[in-house]
Amino acid sequence: MGECVLVVDDDREIVKAIGILLEGEGYQVQKAYDGLQALDILATHPVKLVLIDVMMPKLDGLSALMRIREKQNIPIIVLSAKGEDSDKVLGLSMGADDYVAKPYNPQELAARVKSHLRRYTSLGDIHTRRDASEIVNGRLLYKTDERVIYADGEAIRLTATETKIVELLMRNLGRVFPAEEIYRRVWEEESFASENTVMVHIRRIREKLELNPKEPEYIKVVWGIGYKMEKQEKCN
Amino acid sequence: MMVFILGVSLTLGGMAGILKDKPGNVRVWQVKELFQGDYQQNYRFQDYITGRFWNFVTMATGGNVENSQGYGAEGYWDSGYYGSYGDYNVWNNGWESYQDTLEDMTDGYEEMEEAWRELQENGAYEEAEEFREEMNAYLEEIENYRKEMEIYQNNRPKELTQEEKKKAAQKYHDRIKGDKNLLYTISCENQVLYANSELLSTDGKMTAPEGYNFLLYFDGERVRVLKDGKELDIYGDGYYREENTWQETGRKKDWFVPGYLNFPVDENLKKVKVFLAAAQEPVLYMEVSQKNSGSTQYDNWLYWMDYNCQANQKLLRKEAACALLGLVLLFLAFLSRKSRKEAEAKLAGIQAGIWAECKALLLLGVLFLVFLIIKSSNQGYGLWQELTEVYYYENGVEGLSVYGWEILRNTDPAAWVLLFWGICLVWNDLKYNKKLWINSLSGKLYKVFSLKGISLSLARRMACRNRGVFAGAAFYVLVLLGVAILRINGYKNNGVLTLMAFGGAVLFLLLAYFVGKKNMETARDMETISGCISEIRNGNYRDMEGDFTGHDLQNILAELEDIRHGMEKAVEEQMRSQKMKVELIANVSHDIKTPLTSIISYVQFLKQEEDLPEHVKDYVKILDEKSQRLKNMVQDVFAVSKAASGELPMHMEELDFGKLLNQTMADMEEQIENSAISFRTELPETPVMIRADGERMYRVFQNLFQNAIQYSIAGSRVYVTLQRDGIMAVASVKNASLMELNKEKDFSERFARGDQSRTDGGSGLGLSIAQSFTEACEGEFSWETDADLFVVRVSFRIAG
Repeated sequence: MGECVLVVDDDREIVKAIGILLEGEGYQVQKAYDGLQALDILATHPVKLVLIDVMMPKLDGLSALMRIREKQNIPIIVLSAKGEDSDKVLGLSMGADDYVAKPYNPQELAARVKSHLRRYTSLGDIHTRRDASEIVNGRLLYKTDERVIYADGEAIRLTATETKIVELLMRNLGRVFPAEEIYRRVWEEESFASENTVMVHIRRIREKLELNPKEPEYIKVVWGIGYKMEKQEKCN
Repeated sequence: MMVFILGVSLTLGGMAGILKDKPGNVRVWQVKELFQGDYQQNYRFQDYITGRFWNFVTMATGGNVENSQGYGAEGYWDSGYYGSYGDYNVWNNGWESYQDTLEDMTDGYEEMEEAWRELQENGAYEEAEEFREEMNAYLEEIENYRKEMEIYQNNRPKELTQEEKKKAAQKYHDRIKGDKNLLYTISCENQVLYANSELLSTDGKMTAPEGYNFLLYFDGERVRVLKDGKELDIYGDGYYREENTWQETGRKKDWFVPGYLNFPVDENLKKVKVFLAAAQEPVLYMEVSQKNSGSTQYDNWLYWMDYNCQANQKLLRKEAACALLGLVLLFLAFLSRKSRKEAEAKLAGIQAGIWAECKALLLLGVLFLVFLIIKSSNQGYGLWQELTEVYYYENGVEGLSVYGWEILRNTDPAAWVLLFWGICLVWNDLKYNKKLWINSLSGKLYKVFSLKGISLSLARRMACRNRGVFAGAAFYVLVLLGVAILRINGYKNNGVLTLMAFGGAVLFLLLAYFVGKKNMETARDMETISGCISEIRNGNYRDMEGDFTGHDLQNILAELEDIRHGMEKAVEEQMRSQKMKVELIANVSHDIKTPLTSIISYVQFLKQEEDLPEHVKDYVKILDEKSQRLKNMVQDVFAVSKAASGELPMHMEELDFGKLLNQTMADMEEQIENSAISFRTELPETPVMIRADGERMYRVFQNLFQNAIQYSIAGSRVYVTLQRDGIMAVASVKNASLMELNKEKDFSERFARGDQSRTDGGSGLGLSIAQSFTEACEGEFSWETDADLFVVRVSFRIAG
């Protein structure tokens, strides 16, 4: 029996679809169609994660989010048709752990749910016993002595070059590296037409690390300048 | 109305006439005395009688009557009895004042001498010398004065001898004895000295012939007066009082005769007895004169006095009748007050039509007429003369206050009537026509120049004003020329010349000042207008400050204000509609997204179904593709509308344009490789830094490259170049279009695509998004077609 996930949305078909999706992944799904119902279920069921829509009758998602946060620290993913940056910032600042815009990619949603649950249940206290040999950034963890990167506690298999790139970026969270510099430091030779080479590797790393490689959260292109590992404000 | 005017005029005229013509010692309300017509009641009669009396007494006591004129105030003061040494007195007084002046002068000279000595001691010789000359001149003056005094001394009047005095008395007697209106007998020590009638005796019985009703008898002690057989109380309480004038006291004056307790008779007078009688109705007495080969009149004072009195009576009666008639008319007018009110209003209406200046002129005219009447009344010796004389000789204003009333009272009644109606008209005008300024010529002119003038064009108005200044200048020059000519011609009155020049200057300066003020105002308004225009141009729709009513540019300012309001409203409207559009699109896209979520989710499930027939799998694939495209379209539409409305948040930073292109191509490498198109790049070696939002620019070029891949001829090349062009960095994407390009087509128009069918992938918003985002990043976006060559240029200002 998997963890209990609460799905809240006033659109019953969406709830049903998410239910099918998550049950397929082995989770137990509770369904609610408005904020108040969600709060009731939370009071009676051992819910481990909440997927909640913003615009709902009776009690909207963000208000429900705040009410939940008063009592519980479980991961909450906000699902919203409002995909603007400002909406995301608002949702996250209200206490959401993640923000997924509709229409979502089902695989991505499943991956996110999985990621959050893993970090919450098995790796929930990972941040507390962090030592010098570990670099944590969101759901990523890089063990410098092992030279292995973990995503949601799972070791990711990377090639040597990819590992080098990830190490460089992980050690310099938020710093922007031009392609030439990455090339010089990773391949240890002068760059020549480095952009394409670096880009290819970056894309591959993304496919392994990111939940949605088309909308990367960690390894980002700073257009016209270079590449960087985005420092995740959340969970750090 | 006419009744009223007539009534008032008659009453006023009658009253004023009565006041003027009434005997001075009679009050208006003493009606009986007023219309008595008795010349003996006139104060002049009393003066005449006392004058004669004193002359007779003088004659009786052997005094000098040489200078006696007859009757009247002057007469008896100069009469011999007191005046026998009067001349000498006058001379004596003169002599004394001469001596006093001489003494003062010599004293002054001594003082000068002392001052001179002081100067001498102090060593100021030059000044002393000058002073000496002054002293000499003064000395000469004193000498001249002495000579004058000598002449005066030689002119000392001589005392008349007894013989000469007697001769003078006889002469006097001869002159008046023919006038039988006044009979007299003068005796001294019971000897009749002079008498013009045997019928009078100084026995104290006071019997007089028929027709003589006024009798005065002096018995050496007291005077008795009988009038119409009744004895008059001469002495009253026994004290004599000097009164100022008849007019002032208004009552009977004390008789200036001896016998009062404070005016007793002396030894000489005790010997004298005088008895005189005046006729009730005097007649004219004539005498044959060989000298004048005809006739001469005797003194005949009483006759003329009576004559004047009767004439005056007639006049008074007429005036009284006038006043009475006037009062009656007034009473009648009082009954028809209403019509009078109406008439007043009507009159005021007429008055309102006249310019205030004209009215002022008319009023001045009326005043001038009054002045003329005043001046010409009492021909020759007019009121005006009297007023000025009183002003000069009787201590100025004080004198005026004493005599002024008296003098004004003697004015012709017509003047008062005229003045009264003048004031009435002014009062009526002021009462009904409060807007004096508006009805005035200057007010009208002002209005024409300020408000009415607004209807004229600005240029006309300015020209008018300038013409005004020019006319003023010309006028001033003419005045100055006139002054100059007058001066050349020897016109000496500097006061008038100065006044003309000064007045001209003041008028001209005033004109220049007002025109200048108006022009200044216009200039300030122009400044306001230009400021306002530039503010509107900058998108600032602030209200204009200040009140511009009556200004030259009032209309322009008002119109500008309208434009400003219109612009503000239009911009606001546009903003609002833009905002509404974005909101609408946001709402719509949100509403589309929710069902789309379900579609995508369930299509996904369908895709995962394994045991579906092949053709169903094909359907699902199409569903999947189209739902993904729909998703992209919704997002693009939202992005474009946001970018176009300027509500897209921007993160501007400095970035390398070349690198951006490289990265984008690297990012899209897979897509490029999978296509039949190849990319050729021509990028500078060195970084080309620009300021833009990297994320947005990535979208721009992603779209451009996608377009190029999608719409290029298979096997053709897409050329991506970046060049520096002055301060601009220009990136261009060139591709050979698969389809024939329509030259007139605006490709960046939303949903515009090479073909109109819209069956292939892409939202048709690619170029539109590219353009919107570029412009949102403050770059320039342009495209052109050359045959089938499609060229897009994105340029940015090079940063740093």
